[in-house]
Amino acid sequence: MEKPPENKSKNTFLKEAFIIDISKHHTSYLGITVPEVYFEKSKVSILERVKSEEKNSKALEKKQLFFRISPKTKYAAVASFVFLFGLAVWLQNRFKKHALPNINMEMLSFTKDNLINSILVNDADFEAFADATLLNEIILKAESAERKMDNFFINSLFIEDSLMDIYTSESFIETIIL
Amino acid sequence: MDKDAELIKKLKDTTLKDMAFSALLEGYQERLYWHIRKIVITHENADDVLQNTFIRVYKSISNFQEKSSLHTWMYRIAHNESLRFLEKNKNKSYANIEDLSSTHLEILFEDVYFNGDEIQMKLHTIIANFTEKQKRVFQMKYFDDLSFRKISEILKVSENTLKSTYYAAVKIIEEKIMD
Repeated sequence: MEKPPENKSKNTFLKEAFIIDISKHHTSYLGITVPEVYFEKSKVSILERVKSEEKNSKALEKKQLFFRISPKTKYAAVASFVFLFGLAVWLQNRFKKHALPNINMEMLSFTKDNLINSILVNDADFEAFADATLLNEIILKAESAERKMDNFFINSLFIEDSLMDIYTSESFIETIIL
Repeated sequence: MDKDAELIKKLKDTTLKDMAFSALLEGYQERLYWHIRKIVITHENADDVLQNTFIRVYKSISNFQEKSSLHTWMYRIAHNESLRFLEKNKNKSYANIEDLSSTHLEILFEDVYFNGDEIQMKLHTIIANFTEKQKRVFQMKYFDDLSFRKISEILKVSENTLKSTYYAAVKIIEEKIMD
């Protein structure tokens, strides 16, 4: 199979002769053709498509501005945010502590006016107050009463019989009734 | 400074890029079209791939490191775009990139932009039965008139291998055309 004479035995790819004939070359050997003035039309449509692609990519770049920040800057920004957030939380807690008096549940429950104290207690702290009052009223006071009774009986052993009546009447009233 | 070097310089300059790109289209559009057309077969597909090729060239020209010539670089983009197209459409019109022989001919002979005679159809049939490598090498050398060095850069195959592949393909064509 012979090549056309103008292309024969020479490196003609970038030379004008071959450039002019490339379509002819394909048509005459392979029988493949292109629509009339295809290359002119194609050039225009490629240029138009390139422009629209460029517009789209510029619009996309604008949208993604934040994500184009370099990783170093991103880490620094995130670290600063975390630090500021932490500082804000710490300061808030610090001021809260100064503003609100710290109510000691134990002390409240040891006073006699439990009903009045219960009014002063916040709803959130009420359960703690109730526990402390229960412990104080039932367990500790019962223990103290039991100890007093024990002392009463032990002391009565050391009192002389003649004085027993006086001791009993005084201590019994004090220990058991009061 | 040669023509291509000057063109690359202008393409990398944002103020001159559009003008230079128009010149680039003028110089390479037709050659790349024919290379693509021989791979994707129909005019319609070749038109799509050609557009994609030039858009890719436009987008990546700023990253072109000039390790190869502009021509080789663009040719490689066109080649890869064509193969990507075949891969993407293998379930539609094309059976397989590696086994196009039968579908290749069917699609080609049905294309409105094919008006080949008996000899041309015979040539297509012979080429369609080549291996993929033989086909590309023969087409690039014979129809696109590329040097073996450039084909070697595009296909990443040694020049000696290309030469033996090409001459084997020419021999097959000569024998079969004579039959």
